Amino acid sequence: MPEIDPTEHEISDLGPKVNQVEDADELREMLELEESGEDRTPVKTLIESRIETLEAEDEEPEDAGAVDLSEKTAADVGNLIRDIDEVEELEALLEQEESGENRDSVKRLVQQRIDSVQGSDDDGEEEEILPPEEAHPELDHPTADKKHVRALEDGEYRDMWVYCETQHGELLDVSKEMLGKARELMDGYNEDYDEEEKVVAVVIGDEAESIAEETVAYGADLAVFYEDERLGRFRHKPYAEVYCDMARGAGHPYGREDRPEADWHDYDEPRYAIFPATHNGRDLSALVQAELDSGLASDCSDLYIENEVISNPVKTGAKDKVEFERVLHMPRPDFSGFEYSTILCLDSPRREFHPQGASVIPGKFELPDPDPEREGEVVEHSFDLDESWLDVEVTDHDRLEGGVDLTDHEVVVCVGRGIDRDPTEGIELGVELSETFDDGAFGLTRGVITSSFQFDGHVEQYTGEDRQIGESGQEVEPTLYIAAGVSGAIQHKVGCEESDTIVAINTDEHADIRDWSDYYIHGDLFDVLPAFTEAVESGSVDAALQNFGAVPAGGGDDD
Amino acid sequence: MTEDANDSAAVRTDGGESTMSEHEHYEAIVVGCGPGGAAAAAALAENDVETLVLERGVDAGSKNVSGGLIYAEEAAPYTIDDLFPDFREEATERPAEEYKMHNVSGNKVASFDLEEIHHGGTEWCDAVLRREMDSWLADRVHERTRETGGGLLTDVRVNGLLREGGEIVGVTCDELDPITADVIVAADGVNSELARDAGLMNWDEPEDWFQGVKAVVDMDRETIEERFDLDGPDDGAAHLFSGDLFEGVRGGGFLYTNEDSLSIGTVFHLDSIAEERAEPQDLLDALLTHPLLDQWFQGEYEELEYSAKLVPDSKKVANPSPHSGRLLLVGDAAGQMQAQGPIIKGMNHAVSAGGLAAEAFQDAKTRGDPTLAGDLYEQKLEGEGVMDQLRPTRYEATSWLSESSIATSIGSAVMNSPIGRFGVKTFDGLLEKSFNSPFVLGMIPDTKISYVTVPTVIGDVLGEPVSADNEIEPPDLADRIGDLTYDVGDPHIEVLDNSYEASGTAVTACPVSAEDFGGGCYRSETVESNGSKERVVSLDTQPCVECGTCAVVADTHWEHPAGGKGVEFKQG
Repeated sequence: MPEIDPTEHEISDLGPKVNQVEDADELREMLELEESGEDRTPVKTLIESRIETLEAEDEEPEDAGAVDLSEKTAADVGNLIRDIDEVEELEALLEQEESGENRDSVKRLVQQRIDSVQGSDDDGEEEEILPPEEAHPELDHPTADKKHVRALEDGEYRDMWVYCETQHGELLDVSKEMLGKARELMDGYNEDYDEEEKVVAVVIGDEAESIAEETVAYGADLAVFYEDERLGRFRHKPYAEVYCDMARGAGHPYGREDRPEADWHDYDEPRYAIFPATHNGRDLSALVQAELDSGLASDCSDLYIENEVISNPVKTGAKDKVEFERVLHMPRPDFSGFEYSTILCLDSPRREFHPQGASVIPGKFELPDPDPEREGEVVEHSFDLDESWLDVEVTDHDRLEGGVDLTDHEVVVCVGRGIDRDPTEGIELGVELSETFDDGAFGLTRGVITSSFQFDGHVEQYTGEDRQIGESGQEVEPTLYIAAGVSGAIQHKVGCEESDTIVAINTDEHADIRDWSDYYIHGDLFDVLPAFTEAVESGSVDAALQNFGAVPAGGGDDD
Repeated sequence: MTEDANDSAAVRTDGGESTMSEHEHYEAIVVGCGPGGAAAAAALAENDVETLVLERGVDAGSKNVSGGLIYAEEAAPYTIDDLFPDFREEATERPAEEYKMHNVSGNKVASFDLEEIHHGGTEWCDAVLRREMDSWLADRVHERTRETGGGLLTDVRVNGLLREGGEIVGVTCDELDPITADVIVAADGVNSELARDAGLMNWDEPEDWFQGVKAVVDMDRETIEERFDLDGPDDGAAHLFSGDLFEGVRGGGFLYTNEDSLSIGTVFHLDSIAEERAEPQDLLDALLTHPLLDQWFQGEYEELEYSAKLVPDSKKVANPSPHSGRLLLVGDAAGQMQAQGPIIKGMNHAVSAGGLAAEAFQDAKTRGDPTLAGDLYEQKLEGEGVMDQLRPTRYEATSWLSESSIATSIGSAVMNSPIGRFGVKTFDGLLEKSFNSPFVLGMIPDTKISYVTVPTVIGDVLGEPVSADNEIEPPDLADRIGDLTYDVGDPHIEVLDNSYEASGTAVTACPVSAEDFGGGCYRSETVESNGSKERVVSLDTQPCVECGTCAVVADTHWEHPAGGKGVEFKQG
């Protein structure tokens, strides 16, 4: 009689119990019990597979080469290979997995083990370093056309460079946010490491000098700018060339030969480089970091500088653990922000990766207040553009229309679904009233925009989504807001409740809008609006309100 | 997680050059993290299957509504607390210890005890609020699936199936690139877009659906315990209501006690709502304002949330073969919702189905052929008795009779005749017994007799008058809509035929629309074009609670909003 009678257990409890049984005969007895009892297929499968596992173990104990990986979970494999020190044996396992289940998780585990076994075998002995194309001729090399590496050997790196993007001659907010963050980071850095490294603002464009001066107020110690009227719009080739020329110090092995020495740039390349994760910033950051042969963490949501202990042999060489200093930590969201990865850009034993580069999501850092008293140096960069970099010409450009702006007017007239009896006339009457005021605008509720009302051609320009007032449209706060035939749903209220005075015109005395308007006129908008227009034309709003027997409504005391 | 910028994929190039076959791959994808999806994911993770769970809400539970009772049945292959220990302590409200049914006729009410049928075969049964419950489950699901190399992602809407050479190989999403998997568990709810993409479910017949509408009402715990006469936080009550308080619409009402709120709602046959042109929010109000409920409200009423959902009638639509290729349907997506007479059980079946789907995939893998998962899943549903509960043979045998309208009117006439009424009186005790019989309940026809006539007669003949004045005022529809928060994004529903004949029923049947109400989803309008007047409907999806009613009763193209968009339930 086996210790466990499977028929007395739920399937869910049996898994762990069965897997603890070490005797195949006992398992066979259990199988018989199940067959003569409940006869549940999953239970039988469970027991059978345990029997098979045990028998396989019995046949070939401890010989990993004979292990059938397909029967093992990734966790089992992890345990199994912990005791294997032979690279060949591990490689055999890797091959088996590749030709079998080919699970990434398993391959990764085995490969990690291989790496760590090999790492400890090295014992300081120098391995011959071959370019990847020669080391692994059997692999496809999609980057084979990149024939050389431009990384430095024993390069000198200093400062944090901030690329300050502009538009229409103004610094973007994200540029200011990055300058503020860079200031904070480098103040901490200089204190922690007892250094005097700078925040360097980079400005490229047709009016770069004045903007470069402005960057100082936001935290730059030094602004380097390149001004050329041909660079009024972003074009990636010349912008990237200019940036890289700025970044490489005099005597840089891959820089231009006539690069003059500069006191402020007594190093080879920037230590850190940050860019905005805007359309143009992403474009430029990728080109620049590739040209400087470093990495890039794109779309980062935070930055901080810390030392980091690393055990990955790719980075540490043969050693177990190495502490990397002054590491820029670059957290970025993955999978629509569900997970965060922190990206580090670390030198390898045989190759340097600088600048440590990131692009930063706009709005993630606080927008600093400018300090006009701050002092800093502004340096013009001189460099000749190659005509061929400008082959791509911007022949035309258009600034997207913001649509109708209802937000900055003295008076806004809004009509709602109360116009349903004659929608075209309703629009006409509303527009007419809005035009009576010197600074009046005309808007609609979402209810009208999503209705199936048929409008005549001449009022169609007034019935678009760009005139919607409310939560999903524009939020307005005029001195006077006149809402005709508007019931006052909460989503609409959000869009206009900050108005100084709200006048509601409605046939329904119980309409919600009455609760939050200052005056309520009980009446049909088709009668009230034209008369209201006339009264405003010949007198004043107050007079008009009195004419219509407007009564103070619920919201009257909030101002 | 840390990785190196210079030798990892951190520099992503979205050049669109990648070939179609190079998709991200997981062993299993679970779509939706309600109880069915959570059960499937937990059971898959238990077996070390690399599992990715995709949820379209900002948080699991933010899209989910249920009446509010979850059962653990003694005979079930999986129960939620087997899979998630501490579930009852952490994620549920109060147990439904007391279980009563009230037959209402005007102001007269006859109350029956249904505890025998409620507790029979039941290990436990608790009231739940889905936002809290599902997000608790989701945290555990994420932890466990991460260990397999997967995890749970929210704000991702799966919008269809990825096929290669006609075979289902994965899913497509609004927010992410297509992902392939060896098995896809669609637990994406009653309006499952995957089930429809695979042709396994449709939205054709109102007869196949119930519509549930619910209000969660604020009430502090001491007050609940006092007014429902409960022994502390581990005691709770469930009340059902039927009879003539719903203007002849077939269905009933419920009230469950939560820790510090009440779940009160109504469930009706959708075809009846459509035929009677009933306004669901008015039917709910009819229950809320009935004098019988005054004993609990005592003049105080604060509604925390208004919500609605469709409920599949498993007797008609539970798909006996809910799989196609690598796709397995679980829970509401497969029509697995048992609603027979007063018994409403859905989440427990979803949990069983989720566990069995995972088990089927594991068995199929053990047999070396993952494509067997669908067939094994079907066998397990059958073998574990899940399908028999969902589609009882007794019902299939009598349905031809009980659903014919002739039988209904004869039955109705008999019930209303002096003999029938006399019968009720004579068999007083027997009636209560028969409501407690699973065998009788399995045969109960879905007609007016059982929902309206019988309870009304029972209430009238046996009932005691209720004299209280219930003076509460439930909020109007505009306020109910206003209290829900929306960021709907692009309209996710399109009316294909906006004539009143084709789509006008949606104006009344939609729980956030009404005739003469301009602030809802569906509005009835009269437009004048070329001199002739025409009655049409217009649609604004902003107030949509994503129940799916209009997909059935109107001519629409219906999809869910993109991930993270649309209604967000705080209670659920």
